[in-house]
Amino acid sequence: MALLGSLSWLAANQEEVNRLNVFPVPDGDTGTNMLLTLQSAVEDIKDSPATDVGRIARIAAHGSLMGARGNSGVILSQIFRGFAKAVEGKTELAPAELAAAFEEAANAAYRAVLKPTEGTILTVAREAGRAAAAAAAHPHATSTGVIKAAAEGARKAVEKTPSQLQILRDAGVVDAGGFGLQIMIEGMLKSVEESDVDISKITIARPAAQSALELPEEGWGYCTEFLIAGEDLDVDRIRDQIAALGDSVLVVGDRDLVKVHVHTDDPPRVIGLASQHGRLDKLNVGDMSTQHRRILEESQTNGAEPAAAAGPDRQRANQVGIVAVVSGDGLVDIFKGLGVDAIVGGGQTKNPSTGDLVSAVDALPYDEVILLPNNKNVVLAAREVDKLASKQVHLVETHSMPQGIAAVIAFNGDRPAAANAAAMKAAAGHVQTIEVTRAVRDTRSSGLRVKKGDVIALVNDRLDTTGDDYTQVVADALGKLGPDAYELVTVYRGAEAGDQEVDALSRSLKERFPGLEVEVQAGGQDHYPFILSVE
Amino acid sequence: MVPLKVLFGNESFRDGVDLDSDQFFNRLAQSSNLPTTSAPSPGDFAAVYERLARECAGVISIHIGSQLSATAESARVGAQSVAGLPVHVIDSRSVTMTIAFLCLVAAQSPSLAEAVQRVEERIPKQRVIALLDTLRYIEMGGRVNRATAMIGTMLDLKPLLGVAAGDIKPLDRVRTRGRAVPRMVELLREDYPLEHVAVMHAQAPDEAEKVAAEVRLELEKEGVEVVTGQIGAVLGTHTGPKALGFAYLKR
Repeated sequence: MALLGSLSWLAANQEEVNRLNVFPVPDGDTGTNMLLTLQSAVEDIKDSPATDVGRIARIAAHGSLMGARGNSGVILSQIFRGFAKAVEGKTELAPAELAAAFEEAANAAYRAVLKPTEGTILTVAREAGRAAAAAAAHPHATSTGVIKAAAEGARKAVEKTPSQLQILRDAGVVDAGGFGLQIMIEGMLKSVEESDVDISKITIARPAAQSALELPEEGWGYCTEFLIAGEDLDVDRIRDQIAALGDSVLVVGDRDLVKVHVHTDDPPRVIGLASQHGRLDKLNVGDMSTQHRRILEESQTNGAEPAAAAGPDRQRANQVGIVAVVSGDGLVDIFKGLGVDAIVGGGQTKNPSTGDLVSAVDALPYDEVILLPNNKNVVLAAREVDKLASKQVHLVETHSMPQGIAAVIAFNGDRPAAANAAAMKAAAGHVQTIEVTRAVRDTRSSGLRVKKGDVIALVNDRLDTTGDDYTQVVADALGKLGPDAYELVTVYRGAEAGDQEVDALSRSLKERFPGLEVEVQAGGQDHYPFILSVE
Repeated sequence: MVPLKVLFGNESFRDGVDLDSDQFFNRLAQSSNLPTTSAPSPGDFAAVYERLARECAGVISIHIGSQLSATAESARVGAQSVAGLPVHVIDSRSVTMTIAFLCLVAAQSPSLAEAVQRVEERIPKQRVIALLDTLRYIEMGGRVNRATAMIGTMLDLKPLLGVAAGDIKPLDRVRTRGRAVPRMVELLREDYPLEHVAVMHAQAPDEAEKVAAEVRLELEKEGVEVVTGQIGAVLGTHTGPKALGFAYLKR
């Protein structure tokens, strides 16, 4: 059964097809949708005793319509439908009849779509049909030859899709649905011919195409799909009504059963309207902007080119902004990721001015702003900001990056500014900070004698421990804090810390304090190879 | 009971029928792709209603919140196809054990009309507080995103989420699990007095018992039983393993 070949070949290439999906909106499931649609057709065939091609094709058409998912799945079901119509009543197919069925399959697919677009699965279906017809015209044509020609026609058409659609060109990919169809026809050929097709063309990993596209402001709406079961359904009328409520509209079926697929911003209206025609079944509503965002984030965590990152939600319920003084790439990312609206660079050696802080505060679209200096040398400048800024400023006097991070974590977007400031201050107070560096001069402090170049640890701004070795000094400082009272140590690794030093430190902490969890983060800060947060 | 479904790739399971909680989390741990969930079809509901039509005069059908799942909508559509049986489909606007509490309230009512009224009164009183071990699962399901929850990608923060009036809202985020548990209890106490309360968990029975013990004494004094239970496969798809939470009705 040739369709089984299509199914297994498509299953093997499902992810590959998924990754290509950019049109009409990036919802990332073309391969899965086509596979499930095809699977539904194949299962119905397996359950049926039919042996003649006409009846099998009709069962496949019905099964695929019931199982159709997504744009591509619905079009695929129409391809089956056209094929079935062409072979109705036949028990076997001559090459010319097979080619005609391929052509009718494409025609049916075109008819199902409101606004046919070239460079999609439609074009591929049509070109496959044309190639099949040309092959069938040969005097010694065989069925295998016709399928082979169709596969070849499909492949060529797929290759050309980027020249027909800007969105494919921009993303540097071929059309996913068309590619899925090509794979199906190739699978058919494989099973008929039992020979190897050239798979090198389709196993090359392409970057997930969605990353290159930006999410439009209004999002993509909801992908809404369902079946309407009823009597005497008017497909055209239903299509017209649905078309007014969204785009990518597909309404297909017969008088008893209609499949609807639409991208709409108002699924309840679509559902309400459709339910007037008949009973709804297999209702499925998906938020496409969420699907798209998910793909972007997966692609980023996979180390691909970062793309249009979803910015934090700027419109908070409490209308309170946060400004923090931070230096170091990693720390800046951490603060931003936690919801800080503006970062003022600087810290230990490059203290920002009051003016810098005032400009940052005034630039935020909020009337109240929480300010985190994150360094004791910045606290004074920060105290002046409230008088100078046009906003009401709530200063939370954090003295270190760990305190600042603890404070930001305690921020809650639903709570008023003053309550937040109080909670943030309390949270900052629960964190112990250990800052580790080398002494820049000889000194005496807190009863300790320090020589230039010694490793020193400051615990909550106070010189605490000295030594020659980072690992030893940190472990000693932590030991003095009394590690039993804490559960987590976060090590923020500075720009000057080497990989070996980081590994040695984290290993020795885990060995010496087995009750503590140790997490290493890239801080990227200057001057302090290690900053530790103990909580 | 009409089960929702969990799909691992192209394989579909009915929650609690084909797959119990332990089996689900074992599978989740072994699966490289995350599962997805789907509501029962209107046909699933119609079949149950048709069976009930032979046994009962009316049905109250209580479901997971419509902002979170298409289940209630599916039930409504399913009910339309059953003639002669009054079906009150209730959108609970909540998830997990609070729905079971609503069912309990309904079952203890003297009449269908009274059951509908009592259940509807309690819908705004349901709360869920959940501690997730990671935001990964709920984010994949599109129910919450990292930006609105203000959970960056760098630090391993533990989000505390709440469900009220059908919406999932970030309540708080904490740096360590050890600190999250007392915070959860604190949030629960802010909502006293309670009518029903359950401690729910995903593969964290010991912690659940500990949390339950924390509040059991004070609640039992008020005549409120503290039950514990496991999160099923469908909810587990969105919470991930090691989730811990309270599901309760305020008085």
